[in-house]
Amino acid sequence: MSARSFGSLFMVASCAGAALGCYLVSLRVASERASLEDVETKIVLAQRDMRVIQTEIGTRGRLSQLERWNAGAFSLSAPAANQFLEGSFQLAQLVQPQKPTDFSGQVVLASAPAPSKPTPLGEPAADTAEPNAAPVATIPGGLLHQASLKTETREVPARTVSNLPQATAMKSADKPVTAAKPAQHSSADKPGLAAAHPLPVKAPSAKPEPAKAAKKKMVDKPALGAAKPMTKHAELAKNDPLAPVPAKHLGKPKDAPPAR
Amino acid sequence: MNAPQPALVAPRPERLRLVGQRRQMLAVMHQRLMFGMLVYAGLVALIALRILYLAAFGDHAGRKEGLTAFVPDRGDVFDRDGQPLATTIDAWTISIHPTKVIGDKLALAQKLAQIMPERTAEQYFAMLRSGRPFFFLRRRAAPDVVAAVNALGEPGLALEREPDRLYPQTSLGAHVIGFTDIDGKGAAGVERAFQTYLADPRTRGKPLVLSISSRVQQALEAELGDAMQHFSAIGAAGVVMDVHTGEVLAMTSMPTFNPNAPGQGDPASHFNRATLGVFELGSTFKPFTLAMSMDSGVVSGPGQMYNCPDVLPAYGHLVHDTHPFGRQCSVAEIMMESSNIGMAQMADKLGKARQEAWLRKMGFLDRVETELKERGRPLTPGSRWGPFETMTIGFGQGIAVAPLQLAMGYATLFDDGIYHPPTILKVNPDHPLTQGRRVFSSDTSYRMRSLLRLVVMKGTGKKADAPGYRVGGKTGTAQKLINGHYSQTINITSFAGVFPMDDPRYVIVVMLDEPHATKETYGFTTAGWNVAPVVSRTVSRIAPMLGVAPDMRREPNMSEVLPFVQEAHKKQESSKD
Repeated sequence: MSARSFGSLFMVASCAGAALGCYLVSLRVASERASLEDVETKIVLAQRDMRVIQTEIGTRGRLSQLERWNAGAFSLSAPAANQFLEGSFQLAQLVQPQKPTDFSGQVVLASAPAPSKPTPLGEPAADTAEPNAAPVATIPGGLLHQASLKTETREVPARTVSNLPQATAMKSADKPVTAAKPAQHSSADKPGLAAAHPLPVKAPSAKPEPAKAAKKKMVDKPALGAAKPMTKHAELAKNDPLAPVPAKHLGKPKDAPPAR
Repeated sequence: MNAPQPALVAPRPERLRLVGQRRQMLAVMHQRLMFGMLVYAGLVALIALRILYLAAFGDHAGRKEGLTAFVPDRGDVFDRDGQPLATTIDAWTISIHPTKVIGDKLALAQKLAQIMPERTAEQYFAMLRSGRPFFFLRRRAAPDVVAAVNALGEPGLALEREPDRLYPQTSLGAHVIGFTDIDGKGAAGVERAFQTYLADPRTRGKPLVLSISSRVQQALEAELGDAMQHFSAIGAAGVVMDVHTGEVLAMTSMPTFNPNAPGQGDPASHFNRATLGVFELGSTFKPFTLAMSMDSGVVSGPGQMYNCPDVLPAYGHLVHDTHPFGRQCSVAEIMMESSNIGMAQMADKLGKARQEAWLRKMGFLDRVETELKERGRPLTPGSRWGPFETMTIGFGQGIAVAPLQLAMGYATLFDDGIYHPPTILKVNPDHPLTQGRRVFSSDTSYRMRSLLRLVVMKGTGKKADAPGYRVGGKTGTAQKLINGHYSQTINITSFAGVFPMDDPRYVIVVMLDEPHATKETYGFTTAGWNVAPVVSRTVSRIAPMLGVAPDMRREPNMSEVLPFVQEAHKKQESSKD
């Protein structure tokens, strides 16, 4: 009885609920749409700002302005026909490969000993056994002394002295760093040929830097070097691309600072 | 229930009548009430339904219409690479309503004169006291000026934003792009030709893409401008065109102007020499005469010989050459040395009727067919077109065409002989390439390649060569008509070139109006000395941009013409010796 009498009420309530649900859905849709429109509005505003900025950049960087800079300030001109390449192969052709002979140049280091001879002081550097280090920088005797402090080999000095007259020693000594010369000696020694004198001691220390591959060649050279013209070789060493590295390692800390 | 019960005593008849009346009235009242209720309920239902409908499908209060895409007030104009050439910005406009000014007018006038010195304080004061309601003080004002005016705090001053046309590249391609008047209506160039497209709200959202390439345009303008200054010419024009599509990649006319302020500067600079100006372009016409003759069978090929005396008497006139041969010469040599005498004979043999028909077919007797409205009408001898005029037209005198038309002619000649009208719009799906029409035969087109390359390799156009780019072309030096007489000293020099000649892709036409001789030209004012180097420099710059790879080993088939020239050289040398 009661259920039947409330039936219509339920009907009304359920209809109202359904209508409310539908309304909520549409409300939700509307709010989503509104937020979408907000985003679209922002996009449009951003587009407008971008236009303004692009216009400004474009106007400031207009071609006539660039032309004025390119032609006036930088003196640029159009590339000539022969500056165009057809591909990476043609580009590679333009680069000359480096010659391996440079390594042999290191061998020259052996010759460096000559300069060292002049300065007995150089000996100390010799210990470090830096062959190339000998970038012929002018170094006062004082520096040499310092170097000597660090290293111990004395035999070298003795021999150098014997080899060259003192006068020459002075000249070469100034620059090249004693270190260079001793090192070379050592390397030279190794070959065995130099045999000059102090072979035994130096051989071990010298090993590190002197080119391994070069050894053979070195052998020949050392002989010459020992004979006399070390100075020449020393110069070559400077030019060598490899020379600087060793110089930095050993020479710098001790001798180089002032010289360079 | 309410029905009257039978009374014990019969009522009086009046009373009975009264009861019947009452009932009737009640029924009417009920009906009326019901009707009113229904109307009311209907209204309520209507409103409720409307509310429901709005809730379901309607827009909310904050809805902003028409903002879903940015549509400028006037369409943008882009070049073929998408660089803006013309765009619309919001500019500040400063105006004044003198009647609304409340402060001290004299002080205000003085302050305005300080901020905007284009008028004096007296003039501002006169404006303020004139009693007129409105004046523009400045349009397109700079932001700092606007800020300063705003700081005055005078309610009579109005600051408004107003769409304004800006040309970011300033004078670049000014004659092509044109400019708008104060109301934003196109007044010249593309702005005028495409006024409806650019202004229509339905189309202006999409930028108008021109065939112009701003980099090519800049290169052409820079080189041509240098030459014009160097040779003190009064004007210049240049066109670069795609042979296959007729697209104009660059077109300039000098002196130029700044479309951002078209009112400033010389109004004469608005004149577009490239399309509106018509000039007698001289020997650049000769290739056409030769092509017509070859196509008509008058000339068999580059080896045909003509008698080339020092002076050719014809129809009561004398035809002269700048480099007289004084002997028999081949067609190849006639082209190479630009011989008027040889060309005159060819044209004479061609005859007036055929010449006119050819010129009409090439489009040289009508205004140039392009979108721009500034188009000059070619000048021809008209009713005086007799046999001698046929000869002079043969070597380019007596007919005046626009430089764009000349470029069009070369494009036709080297696009396998097919004519495409020059267009200023980029060829793309929106603007497809129209079907061309054949003018010259394919064979003629091919044979002209080596002939024109010869001119640049060995002839009058040597200075136009850009190494590696196989430029071919023809110089033209025309005497200028001054007061009805051809001047002996004042020239119009031009060069029409095509590159790369082994597979023609681009035409370049360059013209200088009244160039003067300089020390480097040894006193010459002929085209080979002043415009040819412009072509060389311009081609070196633009060819790589246009995708033409330089190649020193490629040439058109020169074996077609060289045999007929080298003999001549030997002869010349021996005669010199």
